[in-house]
Amino acid sequence: MKYDVIVIGAGNAGLTAAATLAKKGVKTLLIEKHNIPGGCATSFCRGRFEFEVSLHQLSGMGTPERPGPLRSILDSVGVLDTLEFVQMDKLYRVVVPGLIDITLPADKEGIVTALQAKFPEEKDAIKKFFDFVWQFFMEVIGAFYLNDPDINQKKYPLYYKYALKDTQSVLNEYFTNPMLKAVITPYWTYMGLPPSKLCFSDMAALLFSYAEFKPYHIKGGSQMLSNSLLEKFYSNGGEALFNTEVQKLLVKNNSVYGVKTSDGTEFQSKYVLSNASAISTFVDMLDDDKVSGQVIEPYKGSSIGTSFFTIYCGLDCEYDKVGINEETNFICNTANPEYDYELSKVVDTDQSSFIVTCYNVFDNAMVPEGTSQVVLVTMKYADAWLKVPPAQYYDEKCRCAEAMLNNAERVFPGLVSHIEEMEIATPITHMRYLNHPGGGAYGFDQYVKDSTLFISPKPPINGLYCAGSWYGSAGYQPTLTSGHSAAMAIVKDIRNK
Amino acid sequence: MNSEILKQLDGYDNVINEREVLKRYGYDYRLDRGFVRKYLERLHPRYITTKIIDIIEETPSTKTLRLDSVEKYLPPFQAGQYISVNVDIDGIRTSRPYSISSSPDETAYYDITIRRVEGGFVSHYLLDSTKIGNTLQISSPAGNFIHNPIIHSNELVFIAGGSGITPFKSMIQHAVNTGISRDIWLIYGNKNSEELLFHDYFTIVAKKYPTIRYVQVLEEGGASYNGYITAKIIKEVVGDSSSKTFFVCGPQGLYKHILNELQTLQLKPRQIRMEMYGVPTDVFKQSGWPEDVTPDSKFKITIKNKKEFTVAAGEPLLNSMEKNGVIVPSLCRSGECSLCRVKLISGKVYQPEGVKLRQADRRFGYIHSCAAFPITDCEIML
Repeated sequence: MKYDVIVIGAGNAGLTAAATLAKKGVKTLLIEKHNIPGGCATSFCRGRFEFEVSLHQLSGMGTPERPGPLRSILDSVGVLDTLEFVQMDKLYRVVVPGLIDITLPADKEGIVTALQAKFPEEKDAIKKFFDFVWQFFMEVIGAFYLNDPDINQKKYPLYYKYALKDTQSVLNEYFTNPMLKAVITPYWTYMGLPPSKLCFSDMAALLFSYAEFKPYHIKGGSQMLSNSLLEKFYSNGGEALFNTEVQKLLVKNNSVYGVKTSDGTEFQSKYVLSNASAISTFVDMLDDDKVSGQVIEPYKGSSIGTSFFTIYCGLDCEYDKVGINEETNFICNTANPEYDYELSKVVDTDQSSFIVTCYNVFDNAMVPEGTSQVVLVTMKYADAWLKVPPAQYYDEKCRCAEAMLNNAERVFPGLVSHIEEMEIATPITHMRYLNHPGGGAYGFDQYVKDSTLFISPKPPINGLYCAGSWYGSAGYQPTLTSGHSAAMAIVKDIRNK
Repeated sequence: MNSEILKQLDGYDNVINEREVLKRYGYDYRLDRGFVRKYLERLHPRYITTKIIDIIEETPSTKTLRLDSVEKYLPPFQAGQYISVNVDIDGIRTSRPYSISSSPDETAYYDITIRRVEGGFVSHYLLDSTKIGNTLQISSPAGNFIHNPIIHSNELVFIAGGSGITPFKSMIQHAVNTGISRDIWLIYGNKNSEELLFHDYFTIVAKKYPTIRYVQVLEEGGASYNGYITAKIIKEVVGDSSSKTFFVCGPQGLYKHILNELQTLQLKPRQIRMEMYGVPTDVFKQSGWPEDVTPDSKFKITIKNKKEFTVAAGEPLLNSMEKNGVIVPSLCRSGECSLCRVKLISGKVYQPEGVKLRQADRRFGYIHSCAAFPITDCEIML
């Protein structure tokens, strides 16, 4: 069977790519190992509850009047009108029990006012910092989003100075109180690296984008997005194979010409777009050790990124009964993100900071009446979990969940006594369902040295394209965008031939 | 980004230096080839090839098959979980889920205990046509009918009907073997004393441990409680139920009845755990089943780009597909695990109560083929 393009993996990037290609009239086959589309963007049922697996706050949407970049992409793929997006008016609530409890609204002035009220001694610095972040990001928009043909240091001084800086050193330029720095930056967990390791551009993008374009929830959860993309793909003539695993890339003379699936079937195509992990694609799917070595070379210094320990809870009461009022809550043990990051390398959770998300603050259709769903998640690298003997695995899951729930009780008393359904996911769970080494939900660690600034997402094999968190930024907006971009690059290449 | 711009950014040289060093000392990911799959084999293998190492006659209608892995490694499981047994009977590939009746701390084997199902297909095969030494392919253990010490009480009421006793055998044996603190009331409903499974075992442990109570309720009489399990019996046996968690497992008929009875005890939903147990066999009598569809009704099923065949009403789509050589993965066969999900392009299916569909499934026409009964001609996409 011959196709123009074969897309491996129906994650965010694979689905967007497939939907984009089909819309452009490109004959495309999508192959997915699992039986449902979405990858991380999915949901599952337990008892009378349906749990959202991974979407916290969708970025880059903006309003119809003032669309963000993601809205435009979803529109161009044709799924925007098929989905209902719910805007959140808060960024998050941060609690360090006994020390601070603050909620930031999703707009710049509101953030500044809320912070100034809690940290009056750094009132001016707060204003200056947020003005600076906005100025910095306006430079990014001017130079890159608006495609300035003449980018130079004079025009974009902040960008040239701060683009590659780490977040912590910029915070230190402005603030002295570590608590203030901590409550400005809890979104570092959305990137997987603490402020000292996280590129300032990334933190600025998070703050700017969420405040300007607002965080969103997709009504019905992320599976709605995944299915909408697949449906669009089908309606434009795309073909998909589920429960089918690609085992090998077919490569000859440094050009890809198709794939072989695990049942031995060969599918031929001029292009292959992989949404599988970089390690699956470049190592497991490439037989020739030499070719494999060349393609993986740029990633030699990259380290496998974080995974998560997650507790999905279905409560037999409304969320406010246990004191939950916000959708996104960062419950921190200390005001020290660097220490929190170190804790992501051990199995134990008794000191871990974590996020408590309650989707039905914005979407009551998610749960039966009178109930609510609450998800607790903390960053965990897989390394320590990989060493847990299988015979102790289930007990460890339970022990770690109990420790985290005990800490949650300090902020949300009564939570545990209302849990009707519970499911626990570890880095091993993510590894199992995503087929990602280390359960890396964000791909490789998101260091700037490993970003697309320094490693091209296009591997040096003709016809092979890659998209998803392993080949650039992680998260919904970035992966959806990367799938779209890779598909457009293929469309362009086809037209040029 | 234009590389000339990149080079002018503050700190560019540091990044390049770091990349150069890491090129020399970084990690060669080729060393990890195949690691994810190999690792997962220890916890969640996709299937396990087992050998029957013993067959134990339990009652006239029931046998236990003791299975060991051919590879000599069985992944751990939690008491109450099940495996799915894959079989090929006269050219029909199908599967059936069975709870593991042995305890998780007995790591050398999995026991599955199989009762002959009237009009059954796989149970006859497993009871009549397998011998010690035969191989059986099974799934890795799955299922959520497990005790979660964080949210469930340590005071447990186990209500079993017939062969629904098997997960409780595992749970009780696990508690006994490992000494975990549990207060257990086992209420076992069955036709007659001859059909009671593991009766000797439960009698012995109940005698030995005051925290384990074992009560039989026999339809045909002859026990301390007779007839069906009722709220009255439960109340008499367990006393105050407000602090206890109830686990229920048994044939379809038991659930409706027991749920009604439990309702009078005013339990919270979080106090009741029900194991799934297949789909209704008497689907024609279910509420919502269309009157004009009778056992004589026939429908045409089209599997897009693959096959067309005719089915008789009253059979789950998954079974019809298997009979016609269309294989999709399956596990629980009770509408819960979602492995057998397919897309319904056109036509209508009857889905019994309790099938766990997600919002997106409902909107985009996904059904669990194990718990979907065609009631018109249907077109399906795999």
